[in-house]
Amino acid sequence: MPNQNEIILEMKEIEKGFPGVKALDHARLCLKKGEVHALIGENGAGKSTLMKILLGIYHQDSGTVIYKGQEVDFKAPHDALTAGISMIHQEISLIPTVSVAENIWIGREKNYTRAGIINTKKRNQEAQELLDKLGIRIDAKQIVRELSVANMQLVEIARAVSYHSDVIIMDEPTSSLSDAEIEILYRIIREVSANGTSIIFISHKLEEIFEVCDRVTVMRDGQYISDHDTKEITQPELVTKIAGREIKDLFPKQESQFGEVALEVKGLCSGKTFQDVSFSVRKGEILGFCGLVGAGRTEIMRAVFGIDKFESGEIYVEGKQVHIHSPKDAIANGLAMVTEDRRGSGIISGLSVKYNMSLAYLSSLCNGLTFINKQKENSDAKEMSDRLAIHAASLDQAIGSLSGGNQQKAIVARWLLSGPKILILDEPTRGIDVGSKSEIHRLISELAVQGLAVIMISSEMPEILGMSDRVMVVRDGRLVGEFNRDEADQETLIQRAFGA
Amino acid sequence: MKENTKTKSAGSGVLLDFLLNNKALAILVILCIGAAVLSPAFLSSRNLMNVVRQVCASSILGIGFTLVIASGNLDLSVGYMLGMLGVIMGLLSREQVPFPLVLLAGVVCGAVCGFVNGFTGVFFKLPLFIVTLATGQIYKGACQLLSNTSPVNGLQEAFKVLGQGYLGPIPIPIYIMAAVGLILWVVLNKTRFGRYAIATGGNREAARTSGINTSSVTIWIYVIMGICVSIAAMVMTGRAFSAQPAAGQGMEMDAIAAVVIGGTSLSGGSGRIIGTVIGCLIVGVITNMLNLAAVDSNWQLVAKGILILLAVLLDVATSRYFNEKMKKA
Repeated sequence: MPNQNEIILEMKEIEKGFPGVKALDHARLCLKKGEVHALIGENGAGKSTLMKILLGIYHQDSGTVIYKGQEVDFKAPHDALTAGISMIHQEISLIPTVSVAENIWIGREKNYTRAGIINTKKRNQEAQELLDKLGIRIDAKQIVRELSVANMQLVEIARAVSYHSDVIIMDEPTSSLSDAEIEILYRIIREVSANGTSIIFISHKLEEIFEVCDRVTVMRDGQYISDHDTKEITQPELVTKIAGREIKDLFPKQESQFGEVALEVKGLCSGKTFQDVSFSVRKGEILGFCGLVGAGRTEIMRAVFGIDKFESGEIYVEGKQVHIHSPKDAIANGLAMVTEDRRGSGIISGLSVKYNMSLAYLSSLCNGLTFINKQKENSDAKEMSDRLAIHAASLDQAIGSLSGGNQQKAIVARWLLSGPKILILDEPTRGIDVGSKSEIHRLISELAVQGLAVIMISSEMPEILGMSDRVMVVRDGRLVGEFNRDEADQETLIQRAFGA
Repeated sequence: MKENTKTKSAGSGVLLDFLLNNKALAILVILCIGAAVLSPAFLSSRNLMNVVRQVCASSILGIGFTLVIASGNLDLSVGYMLGMLGVIMGLLSREQVPFPLVLLAGVVCGAVCGFVNGFTGVFFKLPLFIVTLATGQIYKGACQLLSNTSPVNGLQEAFKVLGQGYLGPIPIPIYIMAAVGLILWVVLNKTRFGRYAIATGGNREAARTSGINTSSVTIWIYVIMGICVSIAAMVMTGRAFSAQPAAGQGMEMDAIAAVVIGGTSLSGGSGRIIGTVIGCLIVGVITNMLNLAAVDSNWQLVAKGILILLAVLLDVATSRYFNEKMKKA
């Protein structure tokens, strides 16, 4: 039994700022040798940033990292790996076209090489021994592409273990595993920690934390909140720690008159992504969608807007059933959607601000569907940019050169110009500065007052609580709660979202 | 005094910006001056007309190609398609099919070939780069089967007019090139379709999310390309007064080069048709210079390759310059 009090890693007073946001503020983490330590907090609490600093992907603005009694400053994940810290990422990072054994020993081929030739037999054999020892039933010679996602995740775990690291970071390792494989993972965790390896276990699932972890550190808004022995704290207490924040931010929410139902969705299903989703939103109402990242909020809205296909379910706009197979259909039925991934599916970065704005309503800008009325395009863009306070030297400049907040406003302008009845906003203020953020909030509220039906997905609790007239909670692809503005509070929502 | 130097440096900055934004034009001017100094024959109006006439077919091809690249695609089949369309029109002409019908058949075949390219890529979700690599081989094979790999001669006299005739002092192919350029410039810059094409090339996912049917845009782009190829084939067949099966081979690479030299980014999302025409003229002037200096044709290929590399390097350097400048602003 290793000495349970020996501290192997300590991160102290870590601060890290990004333009416009403070990601970490006096963050702390203290890891003992051989312990399984949970790191928990809402989306955006700073868990990933803290881990990225530990691995040398980011650099802290201030604060120290002490590892094995010495202050360290890794320049890249490879340095951390050499020093004995490995990480299992949430996303699979295997090379799909080569075998399991090749993936496990990647970067360490020279251990199996003589005179430049790889001893394939020995490499495969040792990989197989490792897998067998860990109780993972996979053939080491199999090509990774042929494995299930769960098995790929197990190979990742085997690879991390194979480094004989002193610290293994696991970022939501169970997210793609089924119960049987989770049992294998738990057994591996118990085994390696008994041998003195420490594990940082990032998870949103409270029952897992109580099942497999010794201690837990809670983070909120980039700050260290508290740490506890898992034996000495209950689930409800932990939820309070995760949520317990005063809403200080001001949301300029105005009272709005609700009209008739603008959009109604009935029994929407799409394989494992989401099931039996039904909701409706009225004119003048802001409907908030909260839940953890990956719960299926974005996927539901992408399906409603016709970006992705869905299997079954019905969509009604103003009481009439509509058939939406593409965003084009959705727009024709009065929907608009500001997507979450601004760079990927929002802006066309090389195109001017003006052209970006006019993209979704170009048909109504055309004389006889052919020639663009440039005069009207100009004046509409000018008017929108004044209304939304878009700061750009010129509307002819490339949108990619604007700040994130101004890009976002331009995308909102694009959709307002399309004259929608229903506006879907997916993380409308993610990654933008505080000033633009409150301007966007004011705008959303104004639009609702003017009779637009608004659906807003957000991972920020204060935003959800401050803006929404009604809140839906999504967990594992299902709607698990619906609250009116006066019923909703952080703790209730977080409990529903985490499934506690 | 200080103020003075400031305005002066700002002035030269504006000039530099203009030159870098229109570098194809700047290069063309410099080349022409150089050519005139090296060989007085260059500036004779006869020689100048000759240069322009020689680049007409490749310009028409390049103009269509600008749209293809602006929409974020590539078409490697155009050279072989050109040979095939020329042979088809040649065979019909030899059979004394009425001349307008010969031309119409060429345009329709070009549109169909383009449609096949675009539709195959969109329907099977294949990269069009690969699709057109394959269809190019098909068109080449079809061309050789139809022509028995020998030139089709005995064409109608009207063909000669199309390729070699004059209207006033200006050769007819130049009018054709100007018309194609003007029409596609309007399409690209003034119409909804043009904007959709540029948006699709700039960010396909964002374009689709904004309600653009990117599949149909892509197919139409290839149909337009096919029609351009057929027009280029008419001009080339007319100039040689014979349909050569190997007529267009390698022209897809010339077209790409002209588009890039003209300032259109290969990554899509922008298109400069006038730039492409200037790019074609640059290639034409260089070829002409080397011809006047009696340089071996194999060395001419080497020179052309180096020119393309230099143009791309210049393009990269320019965009870096503007990026730096934007950061400072």
